[in-house]
Amino acid sequence: MPLIIKDEYPEKLFREDGKRLDGRELNELRPIKMEVGVIKSADGSAYLEWGNNKVFAAVYGPREVHPHHLAKPDRGILRVFYRMATYSVFDRKRPAPGRREKEISMIVSDCLEPILFLELYPGTSFEIFIEVVDADGGTRCASTTVAALALADAGIPMKSLVSAIAVGKIDGKQVVDLSGIEDKAGDADLPIAITWYNEEISLLQFDGEMDLDEMTKFLDIAKDALSKIHQMQLVSLKSKYITLKEGEGEKKR
Amino acid sequence: MMNVKRIVSRIEKNYILSNLRKEERIDGRGLWEYRKFSIESDTIASAEGSADVTLGDTRIITGLKYDIGTPFPDLPNEGVCTVMAELLPLASPLFERGPPDEQSIELARVVDRGIRHADCIQTQKLCIKEKEAVYILFLDMYVINHDGNLIDTGGVSAITTLLSAHLPEGIIGDNGLEWTGKYLTGDDLVNELPLVLTYGKIDDIIFLDPNLPEELVCEGKISISVTEKKITSIQKSGATTFSIDDIKMLGKKSLEISQKLRKELNLLQYKTSIK
Repeated sequence: MPLIIKDEYPEKLFREDGKRLDGRELNELRPIKMEVGVIKSADGSAYLEWGNNKVFAAVYGPREVHPHHLAKPDRGILRVFYRMATYSVFDRKRPAPGRREKEISMIVSDCLEPILFLELYPGTSFEIFIEVVDADGGTRCASTTVAALALADAGIPMKSLVSAIAVGKIDGKQVVDLSGIEDKAGDADLPIAITWYNEEISLLQFDGEMDLDEMTKFLDIAKDALSKIHQMQLVSLKSKYITLKEGEGEKKR
Repeated sequence: MMNVKRIVSRIEKNYILSNLRKEERIDGRGLWEYRKFSIESDTIASAEGSADVTLGDTRIITGLKYDIGTPFPDLPNEGVCTVMAELLPLASPLFERGPPDEQSIELARVVDRGIRHADCIQTQKLCIKEKEAVYILFLDMYVINHDGNLIDTGGVSAITTLLSAHLPEGIIGDNGLEWTGKYLTGDDLVNELPLVLTYGKIDDIIFLDPNLPEELVCEGKISISVTEKKITSIQKSGATTFSIDDIKMLGKKSLEISQKLRKELNLLQYKTSIK
């Protein structure tokens, strides 16, 4: 049966004053808030608010592999489970994980694996659980960013952090950080992630149309935005330890 | 990194038990005290109502979604509310991936029955047209961190979510189902504020709000849902027995404690104001 309010696409994605619908400039990010150590039962965890996206990530590991046959004798394995809450989207999502969630889990896992030293942990697994409780475009990038923070919070040896962002084209103009509506109504979408230890691309997808010049420009504006996100990640990791230090003398868990 | 294990050592159990015998808890509470509740409502923009509730370190985020469907034939003018619980593997090393297990179904069912039998939701207000169109509400609870007593946390989060509701109001017009431009809110939906209180039992000692270490050594639990004056649902779980006197005592205690808790939480403040 139909829902009463339908998802409607606006005709224009820019306001009369040239700004985007939510008042942002072309290369402006949505407000981002990051916090690490939010889930006490996990080995490492992080929470990210990125515009209206709200994402939790928790890391468990190194631990025993279940089912056992997935274990590798010469290295550890990384498994990522990206899931969306039923209420995180406009039409209630079915509770069981769908094809989209499984694909994104794989993409994020492939993106994060290069930064870990899995060969040091034979026979074990690292599991990252990502739960999107509110979604508004760019959840795979938000998930990658928050998962990297959770790994760092877990104290797992890493070559560097990973940061991710979606750039795209709306009404013919190239912009960074597509919101939900820009993603649906826009012309092109390019999620991209960078591993900072070698500054190479670790996640890359594209849907839309672009010529070679546009591709170069996409990569340039993405790099700028990614540096900003990297800074925020570093600040949020440091701030956990600053607050711990300030609370010294207080009984620790 | 927390020490969560399936098997608790005998020393740890004895420590918890000897504290309880002195009417003390390992976290410093008395036998009939709750940990601290903290509540935020309407935090999820995509949901038609939501609540983020923590009890100690246990945290549940609940969201409300809806659909329009046909009513049950025996209740042609009443909407439907279903409750689901997900014990996310993110929340605890004790939770595993996969379809809902017994524990998550019990959580959803106990919270559901606490609401249903308390006449909490005015289901007739969820009817758009008799026999044809009613609201089907989905209350989905997601456990974000597990530190014991999911049921009481879930109960508060379900009620808060309903209070924070803003459902688009529908009518059957000339073109079928239409939105009136208004919203149904907690005022329209919620009648009673039931609370569910869970007690743990180790040996012959009974106590309120077991935390995770206590829950792991508990032989059994009992959850009692109460409205202001009445008991509306009970669930005994775990392999233990409760004496008839204990149950009488817990019924009385539940009404007393819930009255105090209801005042403290002041849940009506979480109603959404849009109309």
